[in-house]
Amino acid sequence: MREIDTQVVVIGGGATGVGILRDLSLRGIPALLLEQGDLAHGTSSRFHGLLHSGGRYVVKDDKAAQECIEENRILKRIAAHCIEDTSGWFVYLNGDDPNYLELWIKGCAQAGIPVKEVPLEEAFRLEPLLTRKAARVFEVPDATVDGFKLLWANVKSAEKYGGNYQTYCKVQSLWLEQGQVVGAYAEDLITGETIQVRSKIVVNAAGPWSSEIAAMSGFDVHIQKDKGALLVFNQRMFKRVINRLRTPGDGDIFVPHETVTIFGTTSQTVDLPDDHQVNEQDVTDLIEIGHNLAEEIEQQRVVRAFAGIRPLYESVDASDHEGRGVSRNFSLIDHEKKDGVRGLVSIVGGKLTTYRLMAEKVTDWVAAKLGVQTVCRTAEEPLQNELATEVWDKARQLLGVAAADKMMERLNEQAESVVEAIACQPLLGQYVCECEMVTQAEVLHALQDPSIHSLDDLRRQTRLGMGTCQGTYCTYRATPMIQERFGGWERTVQEYQILLSERWRGITPVLWGEQLRESELARALFLNVLNFKVEESEG
Amino acid sequence: MDSRDELAARLDACQKCSVCTAQCPVAKVNPHFIGPKGLGPDMERFRMGQIIQGETTLDDCSNCKTCELTCPSGVKITEMILNARRAARQAPNSNPLSLKLRLRGYVLGRAEYLGKLGVIWPSLTNQVLKIKLVRVALDRALSISESGPLPAYAKPLKLQGDKGEKLGASARKQVVYFPGCYTRYNEADTGRIMIKVLEHLGYKTIVPNFHCCGLPLEANGQFEQAHKNGLYNLELMRPYLEAGLPIITSCTSCGLTMKEDYPKLQTTSAQLIGTQTYDLFEFLWQLYEKGELPLDFQEVKASYGYHPPCHLKAQGIGTPALRILGLIPGVKIRNLDAGCCGLSGSYGFKAEKYDKAMKIGSTLFEAINVGAGRGDFQGMTTECGVCKVQIQHGTGLLTEHPVCILAKAYGLIN
Repeated sequence: MREIDTQVVVIGGGATGVGILRDLSLRGIPALLLEQGDLAHGTSSRFHGLLHSGGRYVVKDDKAAQECIEENRILKRIAAHCIEDTSGWFVYLNGDDPNYLELWIKGCAQAGIPVKEVPLEEAFRLEPLLTRKAARVFEVPDATVDGFKLLWANVKSAEKYGGNYQTYCKVQSLWLEQGQVVGAYAEDLITGETIQVRSKIVVNAAGPWSSEIAAMSGFDVHIQKDKGALLVFNQRMFKRVINRLRTPGDGDIFVPHETVTIFGTTSQTVDLPDDHQVNEQDVTDLIEIGHNLAEEIEQQRVVRAFAGIRPLYESVDASDHEGRGVSRNFSLIDHEKKDGVRGLVSIVGGKLTTYRLMAEKVTDWVAAKLGVQTVCRTAEEPLQNELATEVWDKARQLLGVAAADKMMERLNEQAESVVEAIACQPLLGQYVCECEMVTQAEVLHALQDPSIHSLDDLRRQTRLGMGTCQGTYCTYRATPMIQERFGGWERTVQEYQILLSERWRGITPVLWGEQLRESELARALFLNVLNFKVEESEG
Repeated sequence: MDSRDELAARLDACQKCSVCTAQCPVAKVNPHFIGPKGLGPDMERFRMGQIIQGETTLDDCSNCKTCELTCPSGVKITEMILNARRAARQAPNSNPLSLKLRLRGYVLGRAEYLGKLGVIWPSLTNQVLKIKLVRVALDRALSISESGPLPAYAKPLKLQGDKGEKLGASARKQVVYFPGCYTRYNEADTGRIMIKVLEHLGYKTIVPNFHCCGLPLEANGQFEQAHKNGLYNLELMRPYLEAGLPIITSCTSCGLTMKEDYPKLQTTSAQLIGTQTYDLFEFLWQLYEKGELPLDFQEVKASYGYHPPCHLKAQGIGTPALRILGLIPGVKIRNLDAGCCGLSGSYGFKAEKYDKAMKIGSTLFEAINVGAGRGDFQGMTTECGVCKVQIQHGTGLLTEHPVCILAKAYGLIN
């Protein structure tokens, strides 16, 4: 058994968790983050990638809307490399509720969200796929945000200030002594080792798993697990985020994200925190609703479907336990007040756009408990330093603009060594993943990272396998590199299977048209050429 | 669907199989070139994210269209690359090409004006272009390779109007000839021979004062001028198209442009051009099938290697010249089909591309040298003027247009 001493244990490597780790580290509070899987494997990557302007909430929840617009401005400043400032449109269709439109315009003014009406003719010119049923179009400062990049930037920054994190480390129980939580026991899933962490405070930031964590010590945190299904289209259908201007509902957001468009969502209560399966009905429903905003939606190639779990906090009984200044949007549960046990706090609800604010509130609470006076700096200090323009220029020269820019956004401060490697050995600039233009040098670099334990981890860090072909070519092309890192052909094949099964899970609900052709090609390649065996799948 | 949507849909059709890159003549000789798939559909997804690519990367494509021919999913790869080039040129903050390269694009794009100048005193032009110092100067000043096989100029082809004759069905058989800049200014003999052949078949040939088809302009980034040329030529063709006259060309690149690009232009005659344009031998084969091609051939005791130009392949009409020449007694012809010659319009004239172009053509040169060395054939034949220039440059073997062989068989020339 390994023993670790720290001040704070943060459970959960999603946006909130890493945000807390960074904030604690910036304030000089030693902390360790424990994550059962890879960073961002849950809700923080299983969303549409929208950085809200707040426009979606102005009518129902003006507090949440205000938080969104404030955080939107902060994140565009501190996390510019994770954000594409696309702007977003709210589109009011002929026949939509005019009362809502009126309330919405008022609400935006109240929340301080700048709104500009776009003349219809210009709107159709700028976004040719936009439905001709559009009657009015309003521009707001929506943007798109990459959950993966955002999370990595947070942990890298936290590390710089002494913060620690461990992935594939599953918390087994909370360590209680005389009405006080004094740490946690966890299992290192890679080595099987048990880890005992002693700390003054434990923060439960496990998102959809928060109930499970609290329940380990018999506490009740009632999270409603709300599954949202999303479709990934092969290309960018729109240049901006397209929202429907109506009471928020299913299938009313299109987000141009990196090279694809993400469209969603649905809403369905589920039992399990990792119920990520999308069924055909979800897909059919989404496409049907999608017609309202993009009439030609059916002609667009869908590469996969995926789902995430919104950890909604049922705030009815929360009002009694709410922390200071926390809106109904998210809740800070002080278990001393709720359950009479000291040293444990749960942060629940919220959305990715407000992750930093949630982290700030939690860290304020922790700092107060520990008697630390340092103030929060996360709203001012950028997640990473600007890279020297010479490195950018060199990368662009070697790889071309598209590949270079995407790589630099992902690697940022670590980019220099990768660019240097390509400069010395130009063939390292060849793509392993052509759809997403991931170079051999970047893959080799990522494989050096001790937190990469699988091909799927590599995918999250580099986007390898996330494009049109969904891993058909890049996976086997990465073979020599993977084999060297993971050791042995058997393990490599196993990694393929895990990754391809996950890809396959996302493809099956959208198996028609071009994606069906692609899948047949992939099958031929892996089953016939590479001699893989078919495994019986469930269901 | 407008063209943007059409392209977007074809982008979706790409299965990432890389057949295009495997067949790309440029990718074969340049391991640092990411190939048509990379430059076309792969990059296109990034370009939609408002990433503007630099012109220099896009310039590696030689516009031979082999990729479009090989794509099993109908993706318009070269078109995507050309559109990206256009966007790169129009981008406000793009890294502009040096003045030298812009000027070169201007010069190489304008085969027509060069032709007009060159034919004022062809022998003088040819002598001047043979002076080593002139070529070195061109290389230094415009990056036009000093080693590249710049074609010689000759007495230009005479234009022939319709002289107010009646057009269409009731009139005598007429065709409109689009000679293209190469035939018009560099090798008018081919054009004159073709007109003789058509005359032998009972056709009167009309040669209006066409401008350059636009392909070299496009390939050198002069998109607006290419567009203007297309509209001008279509306007000139209009009365003939409306009267149902076939438009015939002996140049495979002009033919491809008229068949593929002109129908997209916004003018009335654009709708007719696609169905009324013929490659010369495509037209002749149609006559043969209808039983209208005279078969009064003399025996021609000669053997040829045949090189199918890339832009002929891209037309999707097979190799009609081979079929026609196969009808001539005595003619022995071997289809080499050994890939692109490398010159690809004006690609191989560029200083930084010359070596690559020669490397691309090396497979073809070798096939020719081996075949000729073995005595399989004595001469070469191909429809495309610049392929011919490159073949002669790479192998020294005399190369002629297939219509010359046909004319010999009809006893029209010796």
